[in-house]
Amino acid sequence: MKNLLEYVGIEPGRLHFSWISSAEAEKFQKTVMAVTDAVKALGPANQMIKQISPEGAAEPDDEQEVA
Amino acid sequence: MANKILAKDKLDDFIAKLGQGAEVFAPKQDGAKTTWQAVSSADDVDFDFVNTDMSPKDFFFPQTECMMHFKNDPGAEDGMIFQAEEVIATPKSILNMRPCDAKAFQILDMIFVQDEMTDDLYWRLKREQSLICGLACNEPCPTCFCSSVNCGPHHEVGQDLQLVDLGDKFLVKVLSEKGEAKVDDLPDAADADEAKAAELKASAEAAMVSKVSTDKIAEKEILELYEDAMWDRVYEGCLNCGTCTFVCPTCHCFDIQDEVQGDYGRRVRNWDYCMSWLFTMHGTGHNPRGTKKSRVRQRFMHKFKYIPVKRDGEIGCVGCGRCIQMCPVNIDVRQVVDQMNS
Amino acid sequence: MQQRTEKIREMAKQLLADGAVDVVIGYRKGTVAMREQPFVAHTPEEADELVWTGFCCNNLANLMPRREDKVGVVAQGCVSRNIVGLIQENQVDRDRVKVIGVPCLGMVSKRKVEAAVDFKPIFEAIEDGDKLIVKGKGFEETLERKQMLRDNCFTCQHRNPVIDDGLVCDKVDDAAGGDIDKMAAPWEELEAGERWAKFNDTFSDCIRCYACRDACPLCYCHVCFVDEAKPQWCGKTQDTADVQTFHILRAFHCAGRCTDCGACESACPMDIKMRLLTSKIEKDVRALYNYTPGMDIKATPPMSVYRPDDPQEFIK
Repeated sequence: MKNLLEYVGIEPGRLHFSWISSAEAEKFQKTVMAVTDAVKALGPANQMIKQISPEGAAEPDDEQEVA
Repeated sequence: MANKILAKDKLDDFIAKLGQGAEVFAPKQDGAKTTWQAVSSADDVDFDFVNTDMSPKDFFFPQTECMMHFKNDPGAEDGMIFQAEEVIATPKSILNMRPCDAKAFQILDMIFVQDEMTDDLYWRLKREQSLICGLACNEPCPTCFCSSVNCGPHHEVGQDLQLVDLGDKFLVKVLSEKGEAKVDDLPDAADADEAKAAELKASAEAAMVSKVSTDKIAEKEILELYEDAMWDRVYEGCLNCGTCTFVCPTCHCFDIQDEVQGDYGRRVRNWDYCMSWLFTMHGTGHNPRGTKKSRVRQRFMHKFKYIPVKRDGEIGCVGCGRCIQMCPVNIDVRQVVDQMNS
Repeated sequence: MQQRTEKIREMAKQLLADGAVDVVIGYRKGTVAMREQPFVAHTPEEADELVWTGFCCNNLANLMPRREDKVGVVAQGCVSRNIVGLIQENQVDRDRVKVIGVPCLGMVSKRKVEAAVDFKPIFEAIEDGDKLIVKGKGFEETLERKQMLRDNCFTCQHRNPVIDDGLVCDKVDDAAGGDIDKMAAPWEELEAGERWAKFNDTFSDCIRCYACRDACPLCYCHVCFVDEAKPQWCGKTQDTADVQTFHILRAFHCAGRCTDCGACESACPMDIKMRLLTSKIEKDVRALYNYTPGMDIKATPPMSVYRPDDPQEFIK
């Protein structure tokens, strides 16, 4: 999937994979923070976005869920 | 309303006239694809295409259309209320529509606008603001069978104007007041021109290679046709995809759903296709057309039996032949109708 | 080609007469140029209508899942590999299938022929050895058949059936001649921005008819992901994000299973080249897992099993 998304031109930093077991709490926390930072650094996504609401794209900090 | 003559070097003026207060569209062939494009001059317009890949129905019935929106915010003044979207209906002049497609709109008018309770504004407002200038077919293609289904290569229904290519000029048939207003500055047609057009019509009808008969279908009882053993074989190759439905000028089924993003939601209408199992799937889990056979039978019964019964003999097919050309497994409506008629 | 047709009829008639199968799935002559009609023959008389030409552009394995009868099926290399795949996935019972194997010379691409005659309306196309005679409105032209082959047929590596209960003719060379690694995944060479542009452009004409999905033997799910509503994974609108989601996910669901049969592209009414996506996956599967789908009935496809030596550099 990673290769496929990169192949169609989506920034590689948007998709990350990691093996984490439920017993590895620290690894989970560190990974989540690393992924969050990596994605934030890329800025708002502008590919494969379906904009339904007319008010514009959600802010990167916004925790809105897209249905 | 007298018919007129349009000289081929006067096409730019004609297109400009059609473009007064409206956007003009015409088919344009670009390699493999023939699509509807906005045009502004004669150079943009093709006259020797066969027909467009997709029918023009999405001028009036877009594949995706937002019908209304709502805000899920009890505090806001306009929250929790469905608000209708403004119907996006802009004036259009549609040039060089084939008579089969134009007739299809007449059939769809009967379905989308029936009475007070069934008045589809999304359809009607767009239709009322459009002008249709058809282009008669002088050379039907092998898969056309319009003259077998109450239509024909020079059929005049559903058009405000119709161009007939006489070779060195066009005869312009004036078919409505709306159309007349666009050609009042053109010279009247002479008897010889009318005669030539009549000749072309006759030769086009004679050149129609594909014919189907529907007379016996009209006589048969619905259940007799429905239970016929032929359906056990017709459905076998069908993929149950949406190709025939989506390219068809008379198919009109749709699905409405709500889409939500945060506090905002909208209600959209999308084309749907009765070949899909999901089309008739009930919330309970029951599916009245749960088998491929029932869905394939439905398509042909609807077009060739149910619509004629409900709409005074109108057939739900205009013989454009697109489904024959595009079906990935070559399910041929002509073969099916012949079987229904036997 | 005529030899194949005759032998198919002979074998089909025998299978039906013996009761070894209830039906034979093959093709009969189509009613339009360059497309034969998938046909299910129920009797030896009907089997006489079966044909084999360069216009047999569907994948007959598509008709096989969820059947309760015994079937005979006419299958060339790619289709036979899909049959193997379906057996591996328990959708088809090997004991209730008879494969009439056809060493394949490739299928003609209707789109290429149309382009070769400048898109003049075509009424008929006839194969004549290595030539293709095309007749249409006011013209007749002779083309080189090999140049008119579908892209996937041109680079085919397995033209002979990998499973059969009888072949209709002598085997041919497995490889068709085209270099698959050179032709597959053409966007790999481009910059990300260009790839995105190409991707958008490729799928911009999609009308969501699902002909590609419905023509594909791999797509046999009772409820396809696009038809799910709770939750709705993929919107039904024509928004580009919805259209692209469908194609990316469908390509991904075929990973490690797709035999590059080309039925999807042949089915598409809008001439969309979705193999530009699937060829990338197929190439990656071969490179990463050293696996070619459908060659060995006993193999376990890489996407359905975990092996400790599976490539993992992308997992942190």
